[in-house]
Amino acid sequence: MSTATASTLSHGTATTLPPARKPRPLAEFLSTYVFSKDHKVIGLQFLFSTLLWFLIGGLLALAVRWQIAWPWSDVPVLGKLFAQQGGQMAPEFYTMLFTMHATVMIFLVIIPILAGAFGNFLIPLMIGADDMAFPTLNMLSYWFMWPAFFAFGASFFVEGGAASSGWTSYPPLSTNVASAPGSGWGQTLWLIGLTMVGVSSMLGSVNYMTTIILMRAPGMTMFRLPMTIWAMFITAILQAFALPVLTAAGFMQLSDRTIGTGFFSPEGNVVNNAIAGAGGGQPLLWQHLFWFYSHPAVYIMILPAMGMVSDILTTFARKPLFGYRPMVYSIAGIAGLGFIVWGHHMFMSGMNPALGVTFMVSTMMIALPSAVKTFNWLGTVWGGRIQFTTSMLFALSFVSMFIIGGLSGIFMAATPVDIFIHDTYFIVAHFHYVLFAGTAMGVWAAIYFWFPKMFGRTMNEFWGKVHFFLTFIFLNGTFFTMHILGAVGFPRRLADAYHYETFHHLQPLNAFMTWCAIGMVASQAIFAANFFWSMFFGPIAGRNPWNSNTLEWTAPSPPGHGNFDFQPVVHRGPYEYSVPGADKDHLMQTDPPNALATAAAAAAH
Amino acid sequence: MNASAISIPHGHDGHSGGHDDGHGHHGPVLQYQPGLPLTRGKLIMWLFLSTEIMFFAALLGSYVVLRFGAPVWPKPHHVHLSEPIGAFNTFVLICSSVTIVLALEFARANKAGIAKFWMLLTLLLGMLFLGVKGYEYQAKFSHGIYPQAPRGLIYEKPDLYYGSAVRARLGEPAIIDKLKELDDTPADQLSAEQVAARGRLQQIRKMVASPEQQAFDLAVVADQVMPLPTEGPGGSHDGGHGGHASGLNDIFPWLRLPAVIPGGNMWASTYFLLTGFHAVHVLVGLIVFTILLFYKLGPKQAGKIENAGLYWHFVDLVWIFLFPLLYLF
Amino acid sequence: MGSRLGGIFWSLIFLAVPVLGVATFAVAPSYNIWLPKDVSEHGSSIDSLFMFILALTGVVFIATEGLLFWFLWKYDAAKAKGPATYIHGSHTLEVVWTIIPAATLLFLAIYQMNTWADVKMRRPAMAPTVEVVARQFEWRLRYPGRDGMLGTRDDLFLTNDLHLPVDEDILVQLKSMDVLHSFFLPNLRIKQDAVPGMKIPVWFKAKETGQFDIVCAELCGWGHYKMKGRVTIESRADFDRWLEETYARQEATQPAPEDVVAPAAD
Ligand code: HEA
Ligand code: HEA
Ligand code: CUA
Ligand SMILES: [Cu+2]
Repeated sequence: MSTATASTLSHGTATTLPPARKPRPLAEFLSTYVFSKDHKVIGLQFLFSTLLWFLIGGLLALAVRWQIAWPWSDVPVLGKLFAQQGGQMAPEFYTMLFTMHATVMIFLVIIPILAGAFGNFLIPLMIGADDMAFPTLNMLSYWFMWPAFFAFGASFFVEGGAASSGWTSYPPLSTNVASAPGSGWGQTLWLIGLTMVGVSSMLGSVNYMTTIILMRAPGMTMFRLPMTIWAMFITAILQAFALPVLTAAGFMQLSDRTIGTGFFSPEGNVVNNAIAGAGGGQPLLWQHLFWFYSHPAVYIMILPAMGMVSDILTTFARKPLFGYRPMVYSIAGIAGLGFIVWGHHMFMSGMNPALGVTFMVSTMMIALPSAVKTFNWLGTVWGGRIQFTTSMLFALSFVSMFIIGGLSGIFMAATPVDIFIHDTYFIVAHFHYVLFAGTAMGVWAAIYFWFPKMFGRTMNEFWGKVHFFLTFIFLNGTFFTMHILGAVGFPRRLADAYHYETFHHLQPLNAFMTWCAIGMVASQAIFAANFFWSMFFGPIAGRNPWNSNTLEWTAPSPPGHGNFDFQPVVHRGPYEYSVPGADKDHLMQTDPPNALATAAAAAAH
Repeated sequence: MNASAISIPHGHDGHSGGHDDGHGHHGPVLQYQPGLPLTRGKLIMWLFLSTEIMFFAALLGSYVVLRFGAPVWPKPHHVHLSEPIGAFNTFVLICSSVTIVLALEFARANKAGIAKFWMLLTLLLGMLFLGVKGYEYQAKFSHGIYPQAPRGLIYEKPDLYYGSAVRARLGEPAIIDKLKELDDTPADQLSAEQVAARGRLQQIRKMVASPEQQAFDLAVVADQVMPLPTEGPGGSHDGGHGGHASGLNDIFPWLRLPAVIPGGNMWASTYFLLTGFHAVHVLVGLIVFTILLFYKLGPKQAGKIENAGLYWHFVDLVWIFLFPLLYLF
Repeated sequence: MGSRLGGIFWSLIFLAVPVLGVATFAVAPSYNIWLPKDVSEHGSSIDSLFMFILALTGVVFIATEGLLFWFLWKYDAAKAKGPATYIHGSHTLEVVWTIIPAATLLFLAIYQMNTWADVKMRRPAMAPTVEVVARQFEWRLRYPGRDGMLGTRDDLFLTNDLHLPVDEDILVQLKSMDVLHSFFLPNLRIKQDAVPGMKIPVWFKAKETGQFDIVCAELCGWGHYKMKGRVTIESRADFDRWLEETYARQEATQPAPEDVVAPAAD
């Protein structure tokens, strides 16, 4: 992996690489590409690691889908890997599959790819800094991912298998070692992995905040920051304030499991004839602590994508962002409200129903800032001159799909409706629309968009569009149908639901969804091929292939150590496209003040 | 404010963590427009501390939820907590907060020697705090109060399970030997108290061995093993151990019979959780102080000392919350 | 970048989203892939709330996705003439599209509260009809018997086979012996987690007779998928007869020992 990075970087425009130091080639190599403190290399390390885990998470999803469509049938290919029962999966294996699918996707893919890969790569470049404020800390934030990779990876091979109490790990199932096979070592490793991811995010987020506050180029006021940076900034704040709560809860669960305290087990709780720890605790306490983090976390998993999509939409609509300040305030609003809605995951949990009412109202309100964002994206596209690049298509589909995922959230926010659809596929539909159809599409948009800056070459547009088309079709085939499945009440996390009279007729629909999922994962081969081929053989990009405005496009592609070969000075906001009277259709943030353009800009306000 | 609060408009300041010097810079040294008049080190320290606030807020919140959700909660002296010791430790920490400030002042004034003295004193005070904490933990352990179930000797009520646990303990080979030894010791080699206790112990052995145990018997057993002090001004507790010197477990420490403390398990879990994480933070502070002692504590190190001090004040502050919550209510 | 044909093609792809989306919901009921039959008294208010939100979000969905399509179609760079409109936003629009959704959502929030209170807050004043104790992986049921009190000698014990009288208030006392479970009656629009250490009341009224599924809707271990029960709703007369018969059978097979009541006593 690092070799790949190494050779591509040296493929880049020749201006930037330092003359090689002869005496210590190995040390040189290690410090440049492995233990590098350069934010761009760290960003790419995050990118490659997370893409790899994305693949693993996708394969786990396929195994999940296989079981739902054709329960207890022999699993092709993968079956050989877990042939405990002649190629067919055991029910406890199924619980492990979806637990680890979600864990991998959330903690090893989406969060680190947004903050770790793009946050790292883009923040210094877009604010005009030479690196992060604390490069060593930054490097550590990547290397703390490895214990997590090992912990999660190893957990598949320990006695009892990996964690299997859902990604939510509700006790007592997760704390009582006797309650499920995966609640043994697998769960302990899960908690360790989670803590390590937490440390990594924590190191990253304080560093990002410091960098953004203190290291903006002259003239780059807060309200001239691109939306990507605003989103990263507020996401970092969310991380910093929500994550410690999960870490604390994780330690409590760990101590319940290993030394036998009873924070989350009630007095005298007996599972499978085994007494769970000291007792006297409360199972619901974990849920409160977990969702206090994990609800804000769902916004951690989408805000950066929202920011990046905003930048991409303006570039390819050749139009200023509609409502810059409302866009900023709405991100802040989502983040703020995000802290007071966690109870909407617990409407059926036995929590006081009166408390449910307050959570319902705050949840309804959190749709408002999202509405503002959606309408402003539409406003941005309106009146533009739209260039249908691959990146733009993914960005547009982010908007289109986020609407679906967001609107389904309204159903669940309505407490009486949630009585019926809680823990059904309606929920599964909701979060795959926001997470996969939303965030992952945003990530692809960003990959196609910033690939030239990362590797100095552009990705192939034709195959990019084929990739988009297939992914878009298959994704809707897989996930849209989950809504109507949920309307029947089809429960999630069931290895086989067809023995219920209510659900037995739903197998053909599930089979259809599984075929779509297979198609979706298969389509990614096109992406992978395009990605690696373009890294080495794509057309040379130049500094600013998309005629975009923000600072990173003034740097060489790929930028050298220290990023900028001149001192960037910012004269205007990031979205001055199609300024009347200007001599080109975009005014970069660093372009010297031009009397004509300034006058026009003033007139338009 | 002070000198280090003024930001340095260069790409690198003292706190940038140091770039690897394998490559030189190829662009210019960049100029920035900082949004706050703080050094990087100080800003990131403040941010880090705000995450720490959330961490302890979660722990304290859990404590409050668990405590008020529990049907019974032991009073501090049921569980051998001693307010004077806690108050003393609070005092120690507050002093150490003062000494670290003095260390900073003298470092700024370029009096490295004096600064080092105060730093050393801070370190010693921190160690004293941990020492006292360790003593308190030891006192808990000696009463069989552990955060975890298998080693802990706490029972919620004197029920049949409790009775059989006592019987099991008395039936352990090592204990049987010890008991025999005790029975055989001539009375003049024992103190009067021990002689009396030996008599009570023999009675108890009879009680738990009897097949017709009554709930009443078990309550008597519990009271002999570790009598819970009565509440109110007349309540019996001495300062040192905060314990019940007349209990069998106190008189014969090797006995370690299970004891009845209603709500004691959850109390122990939360007590060790909160004070344990606090102690870990103290320990980290001590390591930082030790490292700082290797430097010449002049104005050049003032930034580091200031950050260490910020952290230390935070640790102090957490204790100011913990002390009343755990010892006084 | 992007030929004229490209723009048309991609706009239509985005148009397909609302078209096929609405179509999916439109045809689903005719394939019986829809809300299952509702036999509860409160269920219709849940279902109509579902339909109301579906209509509301449906309008928003069609409008926003439609606009997106229209803008893509109209402002395709290969088709539209001249430069893009240079505009940074509109204060009026921002206010309008904040206030309208705010009002809508606030209305929705208030509108639904009554139903929620009916199902989860206004507990009928009565003794429990039946106690349901969830455990890995079955539903243990306990009827109070003739004296109407749980925890006495004439309690009736069963697993997975819940019988309830029609047209009467039912109060279930829900407990769990081990881990979390969730008592889900799709046809009665009831769902409630069972939490060890808690006693949670669940109430409803069935308005039709029949046999329906009891589903466990909270992950409870490897056997979660098979934690299945059945609920039989029957007339009062049938119910009483069933109660008698089952009790007689229980007495015959296992004379209730003294301590049967002890472990489950409240
Ligand atoms: C990126 C991730 C993400 C995002 C952005 C959201 C966004 C929202 N979520 Fe989601 N949610 C998840 C990820 C996410 N969620 C996950 C992973 C779970 C399940 C966890 C588990 O149990 O495993 C979950 C579960 C979940 C539940 C619990 C369901 C249950 O278990 O019973 C609820 C309940 O209220 C909910 C609500 C919402 C709401 C109201 C929003 C809102 O923010 C959406 C706002 C957006 C819009 C509304 C669309 C745009 C607006 C307009 C076009 C304006 C006009 C609209 C109206 C007037 C209605 N979510
Ligand atoms: C970010 C989060 C995320 C993502 C992306 C996905 C993606 C997918 N998910 Fe997942 N899912 C969750 C989060 C996510 N999921 C969560 C939180 C749960 C709940 C778990 C629980 O109940 O505890 C869940 C549960 C869940 C279930 C329900 C299981 C159950 O309840 O019984 C199902 C069933 O269909 C499912 C299916 C899928 C499918 C088919 C995909 C597909 O979209 C996957 C597609 C994968 C790819 C397309 C891989 C692409 C690979 C590359 C791009 C790599 C290219 C490589 C290089 C360039 C090197 N998921
Ligand atoms: Cu019981 Cu799931
Ligand atoms: Cu949420």
